[in-house]
Amino acid sequence: MLELIHFNILSVLLFSVGLYGVLARKSAILIIMAIELMLNAVNINFIAAAAFNHGNGLFTNFDGHILTIFIITIAAAEVGLALALILRIFRNKATVNVDSFDIMKL
Amino acid sequence: MHLILFSIISTVLLVCAVGVVISRNIVHSALFLLFALISVAGIYLVLLTEFLAIVQLLIYGGAIVIVILFALMLTRNEEYPRIQNNKLWPIAGVLAVLVCITMSVSYFQSGAIQNVPNTIAPAGVKSLGSSLFTTWAIPFELASLVLLVALIGAIVIARSDKDGN
Amino acid sequence: MQYFWLIPVISFIAFIITSLIGNKILKQAWIFPMLAIVLGLGIYCFGLTEYLQSRFDLEHCFRSSVTGMVGCNYSVEWFTAGVRGADSVNSFLGFTVDPLSLSVAGLAIFVALMVQIYSIGYMKDDPRFAWYYSVQALFISSMILLALSDNFLLLYVAWELVGLCSYLLIGFWYEKPEAKEAAKKAFTVTRLGDVGLLIGILLIWIEVGSFNMSDLFTQVGSGEIASWTIFSISGLLFLGAMGKSAQFPFHVWLPDAMEGPTPVSALIHAATMVAAGVYLVARAYPLFVQSEAMMIIVSCVGLITAIGAALICCVSVDLKRALAYSTISHLGLMMLSLGAFGYTAAILHLLAHGFSKALLFLGSGNIMHSIDDLNINRMGGLKSVLPATTILFCIGALSLAGIPLLSGFWSKDEVIVSIVHNRNIVFAISSMVLVFLSGFYMIRLIIVPFFGSPNRDYSHAHKLPFVMLAPMGVLAVVVVLFGWIALYMPGAPASFGTFLFYSHPKNFHLEPDIAIITLVITLLSFGFGYLIYVKRFSIFQNMRIKARLIIEIVENKYYIDELYQILVDKLVLPAAGLVALFDRILVNDVGINGPGYVTRTVGSIIRHHITGRIYVYLALMTTGMIVLGIIWLGIVIL
Repeated sequence: MLELIHFNILSVLLFSVGLYGVLARKSAILIIMAIELMLNAVNINFIAAAAFNHGNGLFTNFDGHILTIFIITIAAAEVGLALALILRIFRNKATVNVDSFDIMKL
Repeated sequence: MHLILFSIISTVLLVCAVGVVISRNIVHSALFLLFALISVAGIYLVLLTEFLAIVQLLIYGGAIVIVILFALMLTRNEEYPRIQNNKLWPIAGVLAVLVCITMSVSYFQSGAIQNVPNTIAPAGVKSLGSSLFTTWAIPFELASLVLLVALIGAIVIARSDKDGN
Repeated sequence: MQYFWLIPVISFIAFIITSLIGNKILKQAWIFPMLAIVLGLGIYCFGLTEYLQSRFDLEHCFRSSVTGMVGCNYSVEWFTAGVRGADSVNSFLGFTVDPLSLSVAGLAIFVALMVQIYSIGYMKDDPRFAWYYSVQALFISSMILLALSDNFLLLYVAWELVGLCSYLLIGFWYEKPEAKEAAKKAFTVTRLGDVGLLIGILLIWIEVGSFNMSDLFTQVGSGEIASWTIFSISGLLFLGAMGKSAQFPFHVWLPDAMEGPTPVSALIHAATMVAAGVYLVARAYPLFVQSEAMMIIVSCVGLITAIGAALICCVSVDLKRALAYSTISHLGLMMLSLGAFGYTAAILHLLAHGFSKALLFLGSGNIMHSIDDLNINRMGGLKSVLPATTILFCIGALSLAGIPLLSGFWSKDEVIVSIVHNRNIVFAISSMVLVFLSGFYMIRLIIVPFFGSPNRDYSHAHKLPFVMLAPMGVLAVVVVLFGWIALYMPGAPASFGTFLFYSHPKNFHLEPDIAIITLVITLLSFGFGYLIYVKRFSIFQNMRIKARLIIEIVENKYYIDELYQILVDKLVLPAAGLVALFDRILVNDVGINGPGYVTRTVGSIIRHHITGRIYVYLALMTTGMIVLGIIWLGIVIL
C-alpha cells in the first residue's frame, strides 16, 4: 500500500543527491541543475503531504499544491537570473568554474 | 498497482538524478535532468495531481531545461571535461549521506506523518483554480511581479555592454 | 470654553512659524507670537465670560465633591496601557477649566501679552530677536498647557517644557559665560526637584492606576489610600514645586536666572513659571490637606524661604537680583499661606504678586535700557531722568509692600489672616517680621535708586520708547484695581473667595486688628528705611559695623552656593567619577567593545582560512544544519 512515508523518503533521497551535486561539482551550470533537483524534492514533499492530508489538520486541502506552483514560479525566475549571471561572469572571466568565482575573498 | 507504478517511476527518477550529478559530460547531465523532471511529473500523476504534472512538464521539462541548454551552448568551451569534482567531493558525499540519514530518521519519528490516512485525495483543477484565485489571489499577483522583475533583471544583467566589451 | 485647547496650539504654531522663518522677517518677528497671544486672550476672555455666566448649565461642568468648585472637563482618549478590554487603563488627554486654572492661565496670558509688547522696544536691536519671540511663544503654549491640563502626565510634559523655555531664555545671551552658567544651574537645580515630581507621578500611577487628577482626589477623599502613601506622594510633588518655585534649598537658581533678558525675568521668573510650583501645590491641594505633617512641612519651607530671601534682598545691591530675592520671598509666603490652609489667599497673592512683580521687573528693565547698569549704589536720583518709570515702579513696590487699596494689600492681609488663624504664635510673629522685611526692602529699592542725590552722570541715558511704557501703564492700572476683586468680583456670587476656594466658599472679611498691625509694621519699616537711606543716621552706620559678621553672612547668601560647590566637588564629582569608571570599564570596554574585540580577533584569525569558494561555505552551512537537525532529533527522541 502506498503511504506518505514513501514519498517522504523519495524526496529525502532526491534532496541528498541534489545536495551532493551542489557541493561536489565545479561547473556553475551543473550546480544550478542540482539546485533544481533539490527544489523538485521539496515539491514532491509538498504535494504528497497535501494529497494525503485531505484538508485535515493545519493545512487546507490545496495549500501544498499552491505552494508548489509558487515554487515552480520562483524556480523559473531563479534559473533565468542565475543563468544570466553565469553568462555575465563567463563573458568577463571566460570560465564557469566556481573555483575562479572567488572575488569576494579578502 | 500504485505501489508498482511509484516504484518504477521513483527508481527512474533517482537513477536520472544520480546521473545528473555524476555524469562526466555536461550535456548528458542536462538530458538526465530532463528525464528526472519528467519522472517527477510522473510522481505527481501517481499523487492524482494532473494539473501540476502538466505544469511540471511545461515549465521544468520545457522552459527550464531549454534555458539551461541554451546557457550551455553560449558558454560552451573546452573546459567542461576538465572541471569535474572539486577537492571536497568526498566530504560532500559524507554530508549528503548524513543529511539523508538525519531527515529519514526524523520522518520516521514524526507522529504527524504516521497518522495520515492512506488514501490519496485527487486535486481537481477546478477547485485548485478557485483556491488559487480566491485565498491566494494576492500572492499570485505578487508572483507575477516577481517574474517580471526577474525577467528585467536577467535582461539587464545578461545583455552586452554598449561599447561592445 | 471647549476651545481653550486652541490657546496653546495657536502659540505652538506661532513658535514653529517664527523659529522657521524668523530670520527672513527679522524686524517683525513679533507678529506671529503677538497674534497668537492676542487670539489666546480673546479665547480666554470668551471662555471666562461663558464660565462665569453659565457654569451650572453646561454639559461638561459639574461641582467637584472634593474642592466644591465647579470644574469643566474636556478630554479625548489618549492611550491605553495594558491589554485593551481586559485589564487595561485608559488615559485621557484633556483640560479642565475651573477657577484655579482660569486664574493662573489668565495671569499668564495677560502678563505675557504685556511683556511681549514691552519686548518690541527692549529687544529691538538684538540679533536673535526672532528666536527670542519664538521661545516666548513656546513658553506661553506650555504654560497654558500646564495650567489647563487635567492629568499629571500632561502636566509633567508642560512642566518640563516651561523648564526648557526658562533654560533657553536664561541662556539667551549665551556669549556671556555667566548667562551660560546660570542657564545650566537653573536647569540642573530644577531638575533635582523634577525628579521628585516624576517619581511622585509614577507613584500616583501605581496607587491609583490613572494619571487623572480627579481620579486621584476621589480615591484620596474616600480614604482608599494609606496615609503614608499620601504623605510620600505629596512630599514628592512638593519637591517638584520647591524646585520650580525656588524654595529653600532649591532657591539658588533664581537669582542667577536674572542673567536673562529683563522681560524674560518679568514673565518667567517673576509672574508665571516660578508660580507653577505654588500652582501645583494648589492643584494637588486635596492631597496635601489629607496629610497634616505635609502641611506643616509646606508652611515651614515657605517660612524659611520667605524670611531668608527677604533678608538677602535687604542687602543686595543688584536691582534685578534684589527683585529676584523678593520673588523668592513672596513665593515662600504663598507656600506658607497654602500650608496654613489659606488656599484663596495664596492664589490671590499669586495673582497680585504676578502683576506687581512683572511691573517691577519691567521698571528695572527700563533702568537697564536707559543707563545700562543695575547696581543700585551707582544710581540715585533717577526720578528726574525716568519720571514715568519712577511712578510705575513705586506703584508696584508699594503694592507688594502692602499699602492699602493696592492689590498687594488685600492678598497679603488674607495671607496673614490665614496664618494667624491656623498656625501657632511662632508663625504669626515670623509673618509679622516678614511684613517688616518686605516693607523695608521695598522702600530701600525705591529710595536708593530713584531718590536721593545722583551718584553718576545721566546725560547719556537713553530715551524710553512708548511701546515700553504703555504695557507698564496697563499693568499699573491692573495692580491698582485688581485687589478689589477680593471684595467684589463681577460674575462670581460675591467676591474672589466665593469664586476660588477649597471645600467651602468664604467672603473676604477685613480683620481690623490684624490689618492695622500689619499696616503699622509696614509704615514702621518705611520709617526705618527713611532714617537709614535718606537721613543716614550714624547710629545705623555703627550698627552696620557692629553687625558686620551677620551682614556679611547675609550678603554672601548664607554661603549656600559655596556649600553646594563643596558638596558637588567633594561628593557628587567623586561619585560621578566612580559611575563613569563603571561606565567606561564595565559597560564600554567589556560590554560593548568586548564582543566587538572578540569578533574582530576571531575574524582576523579565521579570515586567512577562507578560500572564497562557494562550495566550502555551502559545506559548512550544511554541516551546521546537520548538527542542528541531530540536536533536534536528540531532543525529540529523548
